[in-house]
Amino acid sequence: MCGLAHYFESEGLSTVLVGFVREHIEAIKPPRSLFLDFPMGRGMGKPNDPAFQKKVIRAAFELFDAPTGPVIEDFPEVIPVKDGRMGYALPPELILSVDDIGDVDTVLAEVTAEMEALRPDYDRAVAARGRTTVGASGLAIEEFAPFVSGFLGGEIPQSPRKGMPAIPLLKLVVEDLEAYYTETRTHRDGIDDLELMGKWFWEESKAGRMLLLLEAVSVASDNRVMLQIVEMSLMAPRFWSEGPLPGTSAAGW
Amino acid sequence: MTKIPEMPAVGRGFISNLDLPVVDDPSWTQPVPANERRISIVSTAAVHRREDKPFSWLAKDYRAFHKTDRDLVMTHVAVEFDRSAWQQDLNTIIPLDRLEEMASDGEIGSVAEEHYSFMGAADPVTMEKSARQAAARMKQDGVNTVFLIPI
Repeated sequence: MCGLAHYFESEGLSTVLVGFVREHIEAIKPPRSLFLDFPMGRGMGKPNDPAFQKKVIRAAFELFDAPTGPVIEDFPEVIPVKDGRMGYALPPELILSVDDIGDVDTVLAEVTAEMEALRPDYDRAVAARGRTTVGASGLAIEEFAPFVSGFLGGEIPQSPRKGMPAIPLLKLVVEDLEAYYTETRTHRDGIDDLELMGKWFWEESKAGRMLLLLEAVSVASDNRVMLQIVEMSLMAPRFWSEGPLPGTSAAGW
Repeated sequence: MTKIPEMPAVGRGFISNLDLPVVDDPSWTQPVPANERRISIVSTAAVHRREDKPFSWLAKDYRAFHKTDRDLVMTHVAVEFDRSAWQQDLNTIIPLDRLEEMASDGEIGSVAEEHYSFMGAADPVTMEKSARQAAARMKQDGVNTVFLIPI
């Protein structure tokens, strides 16, 4: 992001950015920067809080008054993060193995039942918000769990989406699945707590368990891209963990 | 403040090892007065309209969306950032409604017709060509100010 600021500025456009990693801002020196001590994914700080969002925007836009740069200011309010991590992380000890899979049909049936139970609340959430972020994969909600469970046998299934191979599609389906759950819960229970949402989905839900089984399949896979997904922490949230997933180096990047 | 040495091991290693671009001769464009600013948002959240092509994992291209678009999806490759906030309120990452309000109140000049999204996981050096293409589109729209927001 800091690098992009230089390109736009050199095109004759005045830029200001907000950023979460102060050391990077200091190193790349974009013209005008507002450092935010917030969790990543929350650039304007708080959802459904227009007053707070405008405070952030106004603090950023005040930097246009600086006569010279680069200028870096700190936004004065902090949204705390837990243990130095900028987002939710799975407990390092929560790891499943392929031996935990058992009967794939049973895994699928449990997730399907769980999703069906959530559906009325999901529909209410979408109606209330007038939008949903579910659907990046292009699959219907009913297709998410069957598609993911198709990987649990160790084979790569056919992609149902034209022009997109199965593994990149899997990545999007995993995102859709999580969004289906968290969009439902944040609306139903009126909560905004990324740690609670992560814990509920990844540690307590049947869908989260299915994805941890998928992670185990990925670690054991001889498919380079499946292994890359876990090496690069692209599926299960282990980026902020205190060590790599056993069997991986976490050095894929 | 969360400093890199205080971050947990996996993320600390990744963030510490990133190759950061070095800009020897940085540009400085003098801002126009606040009430003349026409503002375009640039996000690195890899969001796009539902019907657009998803971003590839290290995409160097961009997607444009209109200031009235709200039906956006995200195809960012990384999972280290919270998604629950933007699920609840798009303005948490792309504050189009806030900018429209500020334009109505005269705090800024206007909101651009188009806004832009990139894949934040990609090396920004590979995005230069796309960034300059986006800048050309902005200037055609009379944009003079860019608000950059990471994810």
